[in-house]
Amino acid sequence: MTLALFIALGLPLLLGPLLGPLGRVFGRRVGWVAFGAPVLATAALLWLAREVGLPGSRVIEFPWIPSLGINLSFLLDGLSLFFALVVSGMGVLVFWYANFYLDDHYEHHGRFYAYLTLFMAAMLGTVLANNLMLLFVFWELTGITSFLLIGFLHEEESSRVGARQALLITGFTGLLLLAGVLMVRQVGGSFDLSVLLREGLPVGEHRGWLTAAMLLMLLGAFGKSAQFPFHFWLPNAMAAPTPVSAYLHSATMVKLGVFLCARLFPLFNEYELWAPLLSWVAFGTMVLGAVLALQSHDLKAILAFSTVSQLGYLIGYYGLGPARGVEYDYLHILNHVFYKGGLFMIAGVVIHSTGIQDIRQLGGLWRRLPWLGAACAVAAATMAGVIGTTGFLSKEMMLKEIFEAMRPHGTLGAYAAGCVLVTSVVKVAFAARFFTNVFLGPEPPAVKEHFHAPPLALQLPAVLLATAAVVFGLAPMLLDPPLHALSVAGLHHPSDHLALWHGVTLELAVSTGVLLAGAGLYVWGQRTQWRWARISPALRFDAFFEAGVRMFSKFTKWLTRVLQADRPVSYLPLILVFTLVVVGGWTARALAMEWRVFDWLATATGENGDWLRAFAAALISLAVVGAVLLKQWTTQLISLSIAGFLTTFYFVLYRAPDLALTQILVEVVTLILVLVLLGRFPRSAERGEHTWRPPPLRRALNLSLAVGVGGLMTTLVLWMNARPAAGRIGDWFPAHTEALAEGTNTVNTILVDFRGFDTLGEITVLLIATLGALGLLMRYKRTPEEYRQGPLGPAGMGLHHPEEGKQ
Amino acid sequence: MMGPQSYIFERLVRVVFFLVNMVALYLLLRGHNWPGGGFIAGLASASSLILLSLALGVAAMPRILRFDPVRLAAAGLLVAALTGAAPLLAGRPFLEHFHTHLHGVPLLGDVHVGTPLLFDLGVYLLVVGIACKLIFVLAQSTQGLRALVAEEERRYSSPLEQPLEETAGPDDGKERTDAD
Repeated sequence: MTLALFIALGLPLLLGPLLGPLGRVFGRRVGWVAFGAPVLATAALLWLAREVGLPGSRVIEFPWIPSLGINLSFLLDGLSLFFALVVSGMGVLVFWYANFYLDDHYEHHGRFYAYLTLFMAAMLGTVLANNLMLLFVFWELTGITSFLLIGFLHEEESSRVGARQALLITGFTGLLLLAGVLMVRQVGGSFDLSVLLREGLPVGEHRGWLTAAMLLMLLGAFGKSAQFPFHFWLPNAMAAPTPVSAYLHSATMVKLGVFLCARLFPLFNEYELWAPLLSWVAFGTMVLGAVLALQSHDLKAILAFSTVSQLGYLIGYYGLGPARGVEYDYLHILNHVFYKGGLFMIAGVVIHSTGIQDIRQLGGLWRRLPWLGAACAVAAATMAGVIGTTGFLSKEMMLKEIFEAMRPHGTLGAYAAGCVLVTSVVKVAFAARFFTNVFLGPEPPAVKEHFHAPPLALQLPAVLLATAAVVFGLAPMLLDPPLHALSVAGLHHPSDHLALWHGVTLELAVSTGVLLAGAGLYVWGQRTQWRWARISPALRFDAFFEAGVRMFSKFTKWLTRVLQADRPVSYLPLILVFTLVVVGGWTARALAMEWRVFDWLATATGENGDWLRAFAAALISLAVVGAVLLKQWTTQLISLSIAGFLTTFYFVLYRAPDLALTQILVEVVTLILVLVLLGRFPRSAERGEHTWRPPPLRRALNLSLAVGVGGLMTTLVLWMNARPAAGRIGDWFPAHTEALAEGTNTVNTILVDFRGFDTLGEITVLLIATLGALGLLMRYKRTPEEYRQGPLGPAGMGLHHPEEGKQ
Repeated sequence: MMGPQSYIFERLVRVVFFLVNMVALYLLLRGHNWPGGGFIAGLASASSLILLSLALGVAAMPRILRFDPVRLAAAGLLVAALTGAAPLLAGRPFLEHFHTHLHGVPLLGDVHVGTPLLFDLGVYLLVVGIACKLIFVLAQSTQGLRALVAEEERRYSSPLEQPLEETAGPDDGKERTDAD
């Protein structure tokens, strides 16, 4: 079992990064190396499905961070295996397709397949994850790889915009998912889905928290599945190469939201908000997506909006699902994979062979591509729900369930039924348009001019998917055993056998009516030449989103400029006032409550009375006063240095040789650093000739801030020292340093052993900060004029005060 | 900091340089049991190098230190991280340290050796590299020298073509010239 799981999930994860360098060696042929990943994964998953003993489930776990309850834990049950098989099976077709689609006109094949393979691994990881934290990690990995794939043709503006939108939306909603996961863990006590599903969520006082967690997790699902108000990123993601659109943005990644709803269904479906929230949003998105698909002219945009619409249905389906469980969700998902994956691949072949993406400029391709035309006819018929395809089965069941749901749900049910009817009609219209206007009718001259025949192998996956739609559509009993085996307790209710013919029922009548109405809508559209069809920006939302992103960027720039001005004088007061108010206020409150503190203070000062220390402290104070009062910068600096070296002496008095050594060396290096920088200052400033006196009010503020913060720090230090010690950590380290760390220098054992991880982090930060400083220094380039003014140049680096010039 | 100004100073620094580094090495090695350690030793070595640059002129330093000190720092981080990661291979927790006692080593007698020393060596290299790099770069810029050679500019500059803010300082994009 472990080995099979490794082949399905670990192998693509390891293979992905290798494909990049391999691509440099093999060129476009690297795709065939990558092709092995989905094939092996599918085989391994099928073997796992047999071994698990469906409808049972199995958990495979490896420790990762056991102390936090985060483990590499995988849940193999019907739901995860169904989605995993969809991902890997579709992966086989898409990798095959990509090998013929990405010809030598494209570059960086290695990188492309690396991203695609990593994406597949991330998808498999997400659906197989048992630990919610692991699910989140893989969830975000799918978002990142999707970003890289959408932006693959990054020379094009639309690619970059689409990639950024997808990353921002899915990344942001992914963080909401993380928040929800953490809340579930806090209340439910476990990250493990298997545990949560077995024991259920606690009922009672935590209901509010769990409702909030549900909302956050559903927002995560909405973002990933492009539900309103996030529906605009998916059409913009179509800037990716078509294999990516077919794989990520129709068949797999966008279904993660559906997957999450299915996973959460047993946990949350009885909550008051579950049904209304999912239904209102998802069914609304369904209508919106369908209308936008009808109004689009770009082949891929039509398909993208229709995907948004179908995802709305799939999510809303779980919203209306009865508590005893849903029945036909797999059928709906599988049906969508068959026709939408197929249509995307067909659109890809058309774009590939004609170079045209606008449906109004296409036509008459049937004679040139009969196989593809037939596949397209079947796929479009499946989308429309014509009898004899899986689409028909799906639509029959959809109508049946929606009519059933109308009774318990009242208004909500009626709303959903209305949405489903409208959408079905519109869907028939754009399905008809997709097939008819591309493959039938006269052939425009542009097509004649550009057409070059695509290889038959490129058309194969689409034909296979269309065949599957017909075979299962005509013989639905073939679908029964696997779907039954994959059903999951809690989520599914045993369904009736699928059948092609249910007799003359209400659903059949409605279905026929829908087909006729849709055909009518198509004919009307043809007559008006679709002139009315232009998407209003108010419906697409991406203009708002882009404006929001720009506003946010402006806001942060403004904030940065205010808080991070060149001169500390302009932002230090803000920080100090904040410190005084928060820390000072808290200290005052605590002092008011603990009157004994003054007794401690009295005893502490009595005990620690030591004339040598007092003498050192007095000298330090003197040096500091000198630093403040002296006029010339060099003397100020020397005075400050004296204070620093006297502090070293103070450390020696406290028997802390390590600190003293460090202090001496830090003083030396800092002194040199400041001296070097002083070389930049104009001579007059160095001699203290330019003294800028702030206005009296400002001086008063500065003075009070200085006294206030100084007083606060003194109080805090005295207080901490005076407080009777209770189990101080300072005593623990010296006592254990020899036994545990085999060293007698406690300071050093803390640094390298007890707190070695901290040290590692600190030195990493040091290196990062240095690289950042070098980058900043690079930004400061002097102009030739400045160079002409001599080696020191003008006083630069923001040292001139703006008001200096006026005086 | 304008290059060699005093013969006495220069000769003296050449001697002091080795003395300081001997002390730094001593501090590094004894760190685990007596006052000392990687950070302190690193600062000592860095100040010896800075002293050398004061005596010989910072422009002469690239000839003495033939590599970018940042590489030294990166190597230090690598040493520390690898020391931490090594126990993972044996299935032990990250950053676990191991010790051994050697008896009767010539000249030194009984010696206590452990992986903390390797970790400290990493800290030492990093501190030396960073302190030197920053001070040299700043010193060069204040003396009108090119702060970073062309190769370094490529290495440390961001690939951004436009400045991050519109309010960026004067930057006409021309190559600058050395002033002296």
